[in-house]
Amino acid sequence: MNGEESMEYNLKAIASQIEAIEEGAKKLKELAPGFETVDRNAEAILAFVYILKKNVSDLID
Amino acid sequence: MEENRKYWNPVVETLPRERLLEIELRRFRELLQWAKEKSPFYKRKLQGIEPEDIKTFEDVAKVPMTEKDELREAQEGKEPYLYGDLLAVPPEKLSIFHQTSGTTGKPVFIPDTYESWQLVVEMWCYILYAAGFRSTDRVFLPFVYNVYIAFWQGHYAAEKLGCEVVPGGGLETKARIQKMKDIQATASMNTPTYGLHMVEVAKEMGIDPRKDLYVKRMICAGEPMPESTRLRLEEEWGADVYDHIGGTEPGGWAGMCSEKQGMHVVEPYFLHEMVDLETMTKPVSPGVKGVAVITPLCRRCTPLIRFNLKDVMMVRQDPCLCGRTSIRVDQVGGRVDDLRKIRGVFFSPGIVEEVIRGQFPEVVEFETLLTQEEVMPVLTLRVEFDPSIGEGQFKELRSRIRERLKIRSNLTFEIESVKPGGLPRYTLKSSRFKDLTKK
Repeated sequence: MNGEESMEYNLKAIASQIEAIEEGAKKLKELAPGFETVDRNAEAILAFVYILKKNVSDLID
Repeated sequence: MEENRKYWNPVVETLPRERLLEIELRRFRELLQWAKEKSPFYKRKLQGIEPEDIKTFEDVAKVPMTEKDELREAQEGKEPYLYGDLLAVPPEKLSIFHQTSGTTGKPVFIPDTYESWQLVVEMWCYILYAAGFRSTDRVFLPFVYNVYIAFWQGHYAAEKLGCEVVPGGGLETKARIQKMKDIQATASMNTPTYGLHMVEVAKEMGIDPRKDLYVKRMICAGEPMPESTRLRLEEEWGADVYDHIGGTEPGGWAGMCSEKQGMHVVEPYFLHEMVDLETMTKPVSPGVKGVAVITPLCRRCTPLIRFNLKDVMMVRQDPCLCGRTSIRVDQVGGRVDDLRKIRGVFFSPGIVEEVIRGQFPEVVEFETLLTQEEVMPVLTLRVEFDPSIGEGQFKELRSRIRERLKIRSNLTFEIESVKPGGLPRYTLKSSRFKDLTKK
C-alpha cells in the first residue's frame, strides 16, 4: 500500500459508528410509523449500513 | 491525491488470503441459513444440508450446484408471479427488475430490493475503482440500458464513485460520438463489439478517437473479450481498456486492475470455485482450465448458491503487483455450451475472434457458421473487409486467415468475403457464431 493507504484505520471505532447509525435509523422508523418520507429514507440508510457492515464491521474478529 | 489511491477498500482488498477465505466460509454458512429459511426453492434443494456442517471448502463442494435451468423452473408458473419461489424477500420489498438476455433459453428474471441493489452497485465500485475510474471522470454510456443489468450497475457505481455520468441511450452511433466529443467524455462503458463499431463510425465521420476524443479509460461489459480485442481497442482509442466479468444472476464479480493481468474476483463478497470441464464436479487447480462456479455471498434478495456459470476460465497462481490479495481469473474459452467437437477436435468460437482481432486489422466484422454437408461438419468464416482494402487483396487475405486459423484451431475453414455493411453490427451481446446443424 502507498501513501494514505498505509494508514492504520481504527476499524473498531468505525464499526461502532456504523452501529450507532443503524440504531439511529431504526429509531427513526419507530418514531414515525406511516410517515413515509422518514420511513423510506431511514430504510435507505439501513441499506447503506448493511454495505458498511459487510465492508468494515464484518472484518473484525 | 485521489488519483494516487489504489483501493476502493484498502482494508478488505489487502487482507491476507487465509483471512479472506475464513470470511468467505463464514458468509457461505450465513447465506445457506438465510436461503433455507427464506427461499422455498432452496428450502427444498438444501434439504439435509446444515450450515453448521460446512467447516471447510471440501464441505462447500458437497452442496449441490445451482443450474440456470433450475432458476427457470423455479419461476415458471410459480408464485409470486415473475420470480417464483426463488425469492427470499416479500415481493413488496422489491425495487428493481432485471432479466437475462435469453441467449441460452427463456430469460430468467432477477429482482433486487433497495438493499441488494445497492450491494450489487457497490461490487461494481470495486471493479471501476480498480480500473482507474475516479471522481474527475466524465463517463459516457453509449447505450439504452433496457432491462439488462450491466450498464445500470455501471451507471450507478460510477455515480457513487463521484464520476459525472452521462447516459447516452436514445441516440444513433454518430450522435453518440459527437456527444462524446462535445462533452469531452474521459471514460466510456460499452461492449467490446460496440467499442470497435464506434471506431468504424468515427472514422467515417473524419474523427480519430485517439486524437479527436478525450476517452482515457474504457470498461467493457456484455460479452467476453479476448486479449487481442482488448489490445485492439486500446490501440484504436488510445485509452486504457479494462475487462470485467459479470452476469444478471450474480451481478459483476471480477474486474481488471491497472496491471491488466487477469481479473480480480471481488472477495470476500463472492466465493469462486473452479470445476473440471468434463464432469463439472471435481475441483481444478490454478493454471488448469475449468468451469467457474460462483456464489454471491451477501446478496440476500435472490440467493444464489454455487451457481454454475458454464464459462471456461483459468485461475492465475501468482500474486498481483497491484497488491490486491484476491484471486485472479482469465476467461479463456467462452461458454461450455458453445464448445463443439468438430472432426475430433474441440472448437471454441472465441478462437476465431482471438485470431481475427489480434492479427487482421483489415477485418471490420466477421461471423462463423457451422453447417453439415452430408456427414462432414463445415466451418465457414464470413469476413467483411475494411472498405479501403482493394478486392485484389482479398484472395491473399483469405488465404492468410485460413492458414492462421488452421494453426490456432487445427481445423480448416472456408473463408467467404462479404460486401461492406453485409454483416450485422451488435451493441449488446454479439452473436458471431451460428450453429446451423441444430434444428
